[in-house]
Amino acid sequence: MSFNRREFLKTLGTTSVIVPLSACAAPSGGKSGGSGKARIVVVGGGFGGATAAKYLKIADAGLDVTLVERNKQFVSCPLSNEVISGHGKYEGLLAGYDGLMKRGVNVMFDDAVAVDPAGKSVKLKSGKTLKYDFLVLSPGIDFNWKAIDGYTEELANTTHPHAYKAGPQTLALKKQVESMKDGDVFLLSVPPGPFRCPPGPYERASQIASYFKHHGKGKCKILIADANDSFSKKGLFEQAWKMHYPGMIEWVAGASGGKVVKFDAKSNTASSDFNDFKGAVVNIIPPHHAGLIAMNTGLTNDKGWCTVDMLTMESTKQKDIFVVGDSTIHGDLPVYGAPKSAHMANTQAKVAVSNILARINGQPSPEPFFVNTCYSIAEKDWGFSVVHIYRAKDGKLVYDTKAGGISPVNMPDEAQLKLQRKLESEYCIGWFKNIMADAFA
Amino acid sequence: MRSKLLIALATLGLASLTAQAGPTEDLARTCNACHGLNGVSVGPSMPSIAGLPEKYLKSVLLQWKSGERYSATMGRHFTGYTEAELAALATYFSKLPYVAVVQPADAKVMARGKEATERCETCHGATGGAPDDDETPKLNGQWAQYMELEMMKYRVESTKMPHKKMRGNVKRLAEEDVPVAAQFYAAQPK
Repeated sequence: MSFNRREFLKTLGTTSVIVPLSACAAPSGGKSGGSGKARIVVVGGGFGGATAAKYLKIADAGLDVTLVERNKQFVSCPLSNEVISGHGKYEGLLAGYDGLMKRGVNVMFDDAVAVDPAGKSVKLKSGKTLKYDFLVLSPGIDFNWKAIDGYTEELANTTHPHAYKAGPQTLALKKQVESMKDGDVFLLSVPPGPFRCPPGPYERASQIASYFKHHGKGKCKILIADANDSFSKKGLFEQAWKMHYPGMIEWVAGASGGKVVKFDAKSNTASSDFNDFKGAVVNIIPPHHAGLIAMNTGLTNDKGWCTVDMLTMESTKQKDIFVVGDSTIHGDLPVYGAPKSAHMANTQAKVAVSNILARINGQPSPEPFFVNTCYSIAEKDWGFSVVHIYRAKDGKLVYDTKAGGISPVNMPDEAQLKLQRKLESEYCIGWFKNIMADAFA
Repeated sequence: MRSKLLIALATLGLASLTAQAGPTEDLARTCNACHGLNGVSVGPSMPSIAGLPEKYLKSVLLQWKSGERYSATMGRHFTGYTEAELAALATYFSKLPYVAVVQPADAKVMARGKEATERCETCHGATGGAPDDDETPKLNGQWAQYMELEMMKYRVESTKMPHKKMRGNVKRLAEEDVPVAAQFYAAQPK
């Protein structure tokens, strides 16, 4: 075995964190216009895309990284239920892109309208075209407006916000909740899985119950019409509901006719094939699928989700396109694969970054590490979580069933139960601040 | 000759850096989501973990894995990691610079805090910046809220907390002195 100079430099480049990787090797294919820099375009500046852009620059400041994002301000979905209930502030959900710009990411506020995988370019609404060596797609979700007869995008933007993409609709729903009278019913319709943030709807129900409880509206009811027969952290939520909001929250499973298929805005009635549900406020979360750009690029399966190589996050449909975040179906767990959470998007982005760097430098794919931590706050000082650890085994992504799992439902005594819930309610806020900074600062 | 030297250099590079680059670096990056970039937290309920003594980190990580030590969340993570991985993580974070996030407190808190933390001094030092040994964490400029929550763990009788001396001392603090002690150390630059 002998090393030539080029191989030696490559070896150094991958084993040292100090040597800039771009100094070591040209991008694969060498289509970088002679500058020696690999061009990476990231589409979508949410938790997945922003984290990817940042960590690309951390790994190698010499990379040419462009982030394409529609909005100048990011609004976080995590903790947006706490804004609806009044426990959190809307301003706390916001982040800008200055931090990424300071790290040398070229941030373009534009709309990516089409990807040409063969020509390796992204077309923008402004008319510009961006060439890439590698594309990171993190488009999040879009809604299926055909799924519920009578519930339209126009209704969502006016009288009936879904508030499942945080933003103006979050504040609109908050206002509606605040206008409710004691004794009114809040109706929440949950779509069939997979949807983003598996515990999200149930946390929302808890937060709104907390608002009712603390604002003299204790006779209000929350009715959850669910398309599914079970839900994330069910035991923990049910324990919290029994303890903090007895008799206030009713859950109707899909098997009991909970799946809403029709909505009449005039009478505020949502209907399944078996039941009519009425509410003073009706909050319909429509079924969703991968962001439209992923669908239009042909990256999705027949259910509308992006299939990826589980260990690298590269699309199984197109080479050199890495898909991260809520738009993916990742892992082999039933229904969800891996949960569609900010934390999952964060670790997926980091895995995609490590793989892109390995490809640029002609190195083998590194061992991937995927972790998910997802907190929910059901009431003040009452938080809990689910943890998932994934491992690469025989080329597959396997959920480690011996690790992870939900917070214990029962504890040795009441003092420890209260401690556990208090700690996790506070960790939730600390997690949020750190994961926002990990993506945007 | 030249190629032999290069081989030697390359091998040396591999041997000395594998512990930090590669898998451990990738694994450590997953910690950033909660504990901040390079282990420096910006969320007051989450501790900064960079620059803490290696021995302390290693023993806490392994105690969480084995279930010897109560944790709300970390134990569920670490049952999924090998002992070797946890040891490598402890080494990795211990070598990053310790960054004190100084959280100023008013004179009254500082005066009361000095008194309340007298019992802590023996192991943690007067200001938390120079602990007595490698098994004791630094406290200066650590997040006050995190330290307060940590003390709450010790104050609940039924939690498994292996450090008997720490438990005894925390329990002897008056309830109202718990946040004061935390704020006192959080305000210390070194």
